[in-house]
Amino acid sequence: MEQFKKKFLEEASDLINSLEDVLLKLDEDPNDAQIIEEIFRVMHSLKGGSSMFGFEKMDGFTHELETVYDLIRIGSLEINREIMDITLAAVDHLKVLLENGDELDERGRKNHQVLLERIRKITNSKEIQEEKTNQGEDKDRELTEDKSRLLESAPTYFITVKPHEEIFNNGTNPLLLIDELHTLGHCKAFVKQHKLPLFDELDAESCYLEWEVFLSTDQSTDDIMDVFIFVEDVCEVNIHKIARENLLAITSFTSELVNFIKTDKETDVEALKSLVEDVQNQNQEEDAEQIRLKDLSSQKQKANISNIRVSSDKLDDLMNLVSELVTTQASLSLYAETHQSPELASIAENIEKISRQLRDNTFEICLIPIETIMIRFKRLVRDLSNELDKEIQFIAEGTETELDKSIIEGLTDPLMHIFRNAIDHGIESAEERLQKGKPRQGRIVLKAYYSGTHVFLQIKDDGKGIDVEKIRQKAINRGFITPETQLSYKELLNLVFLPGFSTAAMVTELSGRGVGLDVVVKKISDIRGDVEIESQLGVGTTITIKLPLTLSIIDGLLVKIDHTHFVLPLSSVDKCFEASNYDVQNAFNNKIVLDGKQVPLVHLRKEFDINENNPDLHQVVQVNYDDYKIGLSVDSVIGEYQAVLKPLGRMFKKQEIISGATILGDGTIALVLDPAKIISTFDRETIMKREQLKQTTDVDT
Amino acid sequence: MEKTIVIVDDSESIREVVGFTLKNAGHKVLSAVDGKDALKFFGGDKVDLLVTDLHMPEMNGIELIKEIRSKDNYKFIPILFLTTESQQVKKMEAKQAGATGWIVKPFVPEKLLAAISKVVR
Repeated sequence: MEQFKKKFLEEASDLINSLEDVLLKLDEDPNDAQIIEEIFRVMHSLKGGSSMFGFEKMDGFTHELETVYDLIRIGSLEINREIMDITLAAVDHLKVLLENGDELDERGRKNHQVLLERIRKITNSKEIQEEKTNQGEDKDRELTEDKSRLLESAPTYFITVKPHEEIFNNGTNPLLLIDELHTLGHCKAFVKQHKLPLFDELDAESCYLEWEVFLSTDQSTDDIMDVFIFVEDVCEVNIHKIARENLLAITSFTSELVNFIKTDKETDVEALKSLVEDVQNQNQEEDAEQIRLKDLSSQKQKANISNIRVSSDKLDDLMNLVSELVTTQASLSLYAETHQSPELASIAENIEKISRQLRDNTFEICLIPIETIMIRFKRLVRDLSNELDKEIQFIAEGTETELDKSIIEGLTDPLMHIFRNAIDHGIESAEERLQKGKPRQGRIVLKAYYSGTHVFLQIKDDGKGIDVEKIRQKAINRGFITPETQLSYKELLNLVFLPGFSTAAMVTELSGRGVGLDVVVKKISDIRGDVEIESQLGVGTTITIKLPLTLSIIDGLLVKIDHTHFVLPLSSVDKCFEASNYDVQNAFNNKIVLDGKQVPLVHLRKEFDINENNPDLHQVVQVNYDDYKIGLSVDSVIGEYQAVLKPLGRMFKKQEIISGATILGDGTIALVLDPAKIISTFDRETIMKREQLKQTTDVDT
Repeated sequence: MEKTIVIVDDSESIREVVGFTLKNAGHKVLSAVDGKDALKFFGGDKVDLLVTDLHMPEMNGIELIKEIRSKDNYKFIPILFLTTESQQVKKMEAKQAGATGWIVKPFVPEKLLAAISKVVR
């Protein structure tokens, strides 16, 4: 705050100077409205700032002064000699105040008082004094307010909130106000839809919903009204006190409410009050019983255990059952859709909601933090660095990041390999490091973090890095490329992932036994992950692994080609577009223009050899993979779909573009496409690049 | 969640103290010295909230609010204006221009954040 204060003082001195300047102008031309406006503005800024930064005297003083000019501005007061004199004297006084940092000596204080009185005489501002005393009271009330709320005894209010249709025009979101009511105490809100028009007549920019809220709080009705302070003019709010105690704590009342409150009708307050009476009578009888029960349950709670151990087999079973449930729910939803029955539809919708929650919960149970495998790597670093006589510090960050346990299991081996590489080939010996001007101790950092629906694991060392020239040489020696092949830095680096490529000049005991990084890539892609490498010679190497949060159920986009369904992982879907048959069939150079940009197009019909029933309009789904965008043409997009991934049979193991299958609601099977593999299999540019690489290899050997 | 908040005031100290409070609360703050200057943030980029003073030299707060409300992209964004106790008339005028709510000067950080939480989340 101090630094702001200083700034304000500088600013205030500027303001006061300019105020003096404008005042002198006004003296020449007392009727110029613009000058008066300017004076008012400057005073206002000065007041705002001084109150903000605790210069009370200055604040009070400018406030009085401002009032004068406000009156002049609106024409109830006219500038005269006296006002001019006082204002100029006031400005002088403000300078004194500013210089002394809001402090005054005896003479100053006297002057302050005299000036204030003279100003007040002008405005004769009764009104303002009243306001002041009101403010004082407000503060007192705030202070005496007891923060701790005894919910049981807090009275219950019934609040009707009826926003006007045009409430959105002021940028108000009425839901936030309902949310805010929840912060006041125990609260239950019901939405009312009786004013909602038919879809055809619905204006999306109008608000048709109303709310009825039960709130149990020890705050006063004024405090509740305060929630709606911004919307008094665009929203009708009525507050009825319906009970002295918290009705929401009475279960028989809340269960009655669900039937009593109808979404399509306004609730009659009188009827509600009689319901409350009924419940209160009933409740008194049950009270004694409840107290006894409460004692019992609190005793039980004490004995509760917060953690239990479950064998992972049981979790796998649970996971499988949930998968089955999700599949069955899909068929129920489909059935409900084709049968026009509102009851069935609402049941299906509920089941969908619950199974989604169940799915999320089960996933969460199956998640374990990366921390659990960290101990192994700590050990590895310690042992290995001793053996190789290197000094290495291992730092793990974000190890609380959680992953599905099957992913963690699949992750251990490849990570071991990466660590070995980093220790063995990455980090130099202490002498070498000192020679290079690096700290004696090498560093390996493992960083885990979430990003979207993925988890990233980064292993970073500050060792010698990878010499791309060496890689290049080696690739030429091994016949992967010819000396003429032009490859970018990244492409060169990625050569290390090729099978049979190892950069270690010397085969050591620990790594470089011919088991190269290609195995890492293979294992990571088994758990649907990706590996990326970055390196700078002399600075270090970073390997980044991108992993899905879970393996067995994914959110997908269901699409259709002819009579066959396919699922695209939603995480890679960017946008959907419409394209004519002509555009798709005759895409020049296999590019299509989407959103004004040329994007490579894969015509799936052509690639899958489906030739019947060519539609007039195709849908092009733009998928995003590693910053590479590509359009996939399909016949139609059906919608979002929770796909339970099932592996394909053994005979399909060789194919790559399909990562699994899922059973749809009607029992048919949809294939789940892997966008990454589709790009590498069908995209012309990617293929061409690879062909080039391969051709040179062929010529070589 | 991080929100993009535009703060408009001709007083640098107010801009700084509001900006400081909002940044501390984890928001992205863009500041402008007056209405005209503020318009540069409303060319299509996402803005979650506008906090503006009413008295400013070039294009005052009321004009700014009207201008913003006339833009399709920002028709429904919350707008708060800074005001003092004594300005009841201005309050009505600003509300009619399309403001969502107001923040009474002087304010402590908690009061500022409470007002903001009323209109954006």
